[in-house]
Amino acid sequence: MLTLKLAYRNILRQRRRSLLTALSMAGGYMLFVFSMSLLEGSWSNVVDIFTLDHTGHIQVHKDDYAKRPKIHKTIENPAAVETTLKNHEDVTGWAPRVYSSALAYGGNKTSIAQIFGIDPELEPTVTRILQKVSAGQYFSDQPNADGYFPAMIGRGLANSLRLDVGDEIVLISSGADGSIANDIFIITAIIGNTTSFDRLGVFLPLTVAQEFLSIGGEVHEFALLARNKHDNEQLAVALQSLMPSLNVSPWQQIEATFYRTMQSDKQGNYFTMALIVFIVFIGVLNTVLMSVLERTKEFGVLKSIGCRPSELVKLIFIETVMLASISISVGLALILPVIVWFTEVGIKLDISVDMGGVVFDTMKGDLSAYVVFMPMGFMLLTAALISLPPGLRAARILPRVALGSH
Amino acid sequence: MKTVIETKNLVRKFGEAQTQVTALSNVSTHIEEGEFTAIIGPSGSGKTTLLQLIGGLDEPDSGDVFLSGTNIANMSGRQLSDFRRDHIGFIFQSYNLIPVLSAEENIEYIMLLQGIDEKDRKTRVQEMLALVGLEGLGDRRPAQLSGGQQQRVAVARAMASKPDIILADEPTANLDSTTGIALLDMMRDLNAQMNMTFVFSTHDQKIMDRADRLIHLEDGIVHLDEIRNS
Repeated sequence: MLTLKLAYRNILRQRRRSLLTALSMAGGYMLFVFSMSLLEGSWSNVVDIFTLDHTGHIQVHKDDYAKRPKIHKTIENPAAVETTLKNHEDVTGWAPRVYSSALAYGGNKTSIAQIFGIDPELEPTVTRILQKVSAGQYFSDQPNADGYFPAMIGRGLANSLRLDVGDEIVLISSGADGSIANDIFIITAIIGNTTSFDRLGVFLPLTVAQEFLSIGGEVHEFALLARNKHDNEQLAVALQSLMPSLNVSPWQQIEATFYRTMQSDKQGNYFTMALIVFIVFIGVLNTVLMSVLERTKEFGVLKSIGCRPSELVKLIFIETVMLASISISVGLALILPVIVWFTEVGIKLDISVDMGGVVFDTMKGDLSAYVVFMPMGFMLLTAALISLPPGLRAARILPRVALGSH
Repeated sequence: MKTVIETKNLVRKFGEAQTQVTALSNVSTHIEEGEFTAIIGPSGSGKTTLLQLIGGLDEPDSGDVFLSGTNIANMSGRQLSDFRRDHIGFIFQSYNLIPVLSAEENIEYIMLLQGIDEKDRKTRVQEMLALVGLEGLGDRRPAQLSGGQQQRVAVARAMASKPDIILADEPTANLDSTTGIALLDMMRDLNAQMNMTFVFSTHDQKIMDRADRLIHLEDGIVHLDEIRNS
């Protein structure tokens, strides 16, 4: 307690200098936290764009379907998977899917197409597909009065085949049993835009797609959302243990290239932030060194009365970390309301950005323990390290020389 | 009587080559337990250097210092720190109290270094303040005390660790003669009550008169070793 008191009073000894040092550290911390919030918020938005566009936070497949998709690599007992997902408290939504490629006809035009068999009710619990309907109506799994089942097609395919809502589209593909699959569907909606990943997609109701592709009640994939998107990797591990015969993959594995790019970008930004903190702490080092030089005689006295060199290192360490802690606390109190506002309200962009059919017009930050505590830990660690050179200098002071100084 | 301080052929030189000065030259002496000894001599005679070598604050170029039979020359830096903390009390000419700590805290700090628990520290602080006549002034910072009061706090600090030896480097030099004599009388009383060994340097005749023994230093050599009282 007395050592803490001594450290605290030493900080207050040169009030103006301590205040300036504290302000620079508080400013550095605020800048660090704001940059982290911006960085994490931006990447969080981008991750949301593709996870909520299609990928989900986690996917479940048979064998290596995610890397080498084949029509016959199906999950044979989807009901068991649904039961597992339904009973897991950290899973907030799931959607079964089937996939295949096809040749699409519209009038006298043809195009390749990607079939997405989706559950009309469950798919919106995982993705933003409802928001991506740019024309027409989101479909159901019921046929129309003439007995034709509905289809929703991507904007790219619609433009290529010059089709619109209400038109017929003919699909030809091959079934899982080797049969030729062909049928006519009525377009009920156009999805996304020409840059969407599903621009050449044809969305069919799940049961219709299963029938069309002759795969019975089986599916190729389950996409699901985690209650906390930051914990999706842990959830994937937990689900994998519940479904050992299937492959459970977090989006970080499904979109491995993107994930690596994101990590590289983050690391680059972390380096820049660390550089800013380093520059701030050069100033702090100067302050602490000055403080040690000014107190040379005092350290000589302390050593004379029996203070071990390590005690002096400890004293300088406590003083520096205490000043950093006070500065960070002030910085946190000042930046927290800004980050809350940035996360909840955000900055309105002058120009909206259309990301695959989903419009973003606000830049938002991220508020998490990581955003607040990582810079805090980094700065405290830097403060601790920066205290060592002055501390060692104090420890090496010779009492005879120090007592003769002024 | 038991010998608590013994120096053998102490040599200490400062500077190099042509600018070298010999501060102490083959100083051999011994001081017994409970003695009240003054090292006297003019400025530059080597008084402070001898006290610093006895206190382990400096290393001799040659020779040995034995404190209670232990040769401190063989100690590591940490062992020397611990030895000073537990066996030697220092009183400096310019008091050298920690300015941000109160009188009580200045006295308490050395006991904190000794690892004494807080309750015992507080009790002993009050005892020490009473011993040096500063009851009620414990919460004052050094800047709020007179020179004489600050030096009394320094004496209390030196005694708080219950050392075997108290070394005082011109403890009265910054005090007026009345205050200086009063301080010396107080140290003399403490010496008598607690049988602590006091060694101090001075060149003030009034102060010398109160010492049992005078070690005269001149140009780094013991010129005369004079027993005044027994």
